[in-house]
Amino acid sequence: MTTFFLLWILATVDAAFIGYREAAGRNALIDKGRYYRWAMVRGALLGQIAVGVVGAFAIVILAFSADRSSLIGQFEDMGTRMLTVFVPYALILFLAFLVRLMPSVDLRSITSVIIFGPFTLIRPVVVIAGIIWGLLYGPNWITILLAALILFLMLGFEWAIGKRRLLD
Amino acid sequence: MNLLSFQPHGREISDTIVSYDPDTLERHSVLKSEVLREFVAVGNRRAISIVERIPERDDVLDPAVVDDLLVRTHCEMQRISEEFQHGMRVAELLKPLLQALRDKDIEKPMRIVDIGCGTGYVLRWLANTRALGEDVELIGADLNVALIREAQRLAAAEKLDCKFIIANAFRLDHAAHIYISTGILHHFRDAALSELLEQHDRPDTCAFVHFDFHPSRFAPFGSWLFHAVRMREPLAKHDGVLSAVRAHNSRLLLEAARSAAPDFVSAIYGTRLWGLPIPRVFHSLVGVRAKYRDRFLQNMGGRIASLGCIE
Repeated sequence: MTTFFLLWILATVDAAFIGYREAAGRNALIDKGRYYRWAMVRGALLGQIAVGVVGAFAIVILAFSADRSSLIGQFEDMGTRMLTVFVPYALILFLAFLVRLMPSVDLRSITSVIIFGPFTLIRPVVVIAGIIWGLLYGPNWITILLAALILFLMLGFEWAIGKRRLLD
Repeated sequence: MNLLSFQPHGREISDTIVSYDPDTLERHSVLKSEVLREFVAVGNRRAISIVERIPERDDVLDPAVVDDLLVRTHCEMQRISEEFQHGMRVAELLKPLLQALRDKDIEKPMRIVDIGCGTGYVLRWLANTRALGEDVELIGADLNVALIREAQRLAAAEKLDCKFIIANAFRLDHAAHIYISTGILHHFRDAALSELLEQHDRPDTCAFVHFDFHPSRFAPFGSWLFHAVRMREPLAKHDGVLSAVRAHNSRLLLEAARSAAPDFVSAIYGTRLWGLPIPRVFHSLVGVRAKYRDRFLQNMGGRIASLGCIE
């Protein structure tokens, strides 16, 4: 259960930052802490829909499974392997945020140059790598289907909320 | 966006799709065919495809669409300035400079004029944070009506104490005590750069501080990376990377300042990060009248070493 909880936390934080990135560059006011906070809350809330879709899919699969405990074990093993990729990525970003708390133009700029910019660029690669690494545990048609759904949601979420704003 | 497709000698798209007379401030019609011809001549296919998408009537680019595009682009550019703490960076150089002027009992208020201020991010940030003190007047000048209106709207929305005017920055009723700019120097090439710097030599003007991209081997790639992950507008992505490619090197800026504005003591700051051979994103061309130089350096204290200075 810890694995699923950690994955949920990471998915929620990732969705919150997607909300931030989607809102950035659209508001030229100076003081916009509230604007960004709301963007992150909105991202995190919308992220729950994606999490819910994955959860619902897993529940349906489990409902029709003859050996539920084995399948839950497979999901957990897959999730644990995914965490070995996602957690280091998240930790590096977290450390960069800690550095960014320091009131230094140079330190803050260097976190952007070394961490935030490149890590935003490689996010899709990290997502794919994490999911493939999770799948390598022992792929079968159920885990492949679940992995494909997670991949689609993680990569499509940013595009989807950007599109939603455009439709507004 | 292909980094290798950039031609260092071509202009940015934003320089070509809008045109104002610097004397009359009148807006000129811009012919799409002429803009396209310019980019065809330098083989900039990316720029051609972006310009081709801008609607025109009788070959004249639609001014409303161009304005809207430029305002959106500046809004996205502001995001990069925010991420790289540009307001704070400007304040760090202006504070010791203003203090040097105060120490010499200069008339108040001290006027800072931002040349080509666009939507006025730097001045609005300075006004919002009150980083420079109450005896400083902040004025942004730009020829582009749409950008200035947006700057005025944004400043009014946050009740900021700064002014934005459609004007040539060097033809205001009162000259600036300090002229500043961000990201405009590379738009001026050869003689135009010298002409720009010559115009600083006015009786009231005590100093100038111009920030621009710091060219280095990694700058085009770094700029491409940031524009790829942070920008949405194809024009912003294109021009952002091209700006880094076209940026003047420190030596050229310094020589141009010394030759065009010899009554100012000039230096380049922000050349190296913490004195290490790591280039910064921005460097700044700083010029001060000789009588303020010592006080300015004294007020800068240890910042000079950490900023890296070519003097």
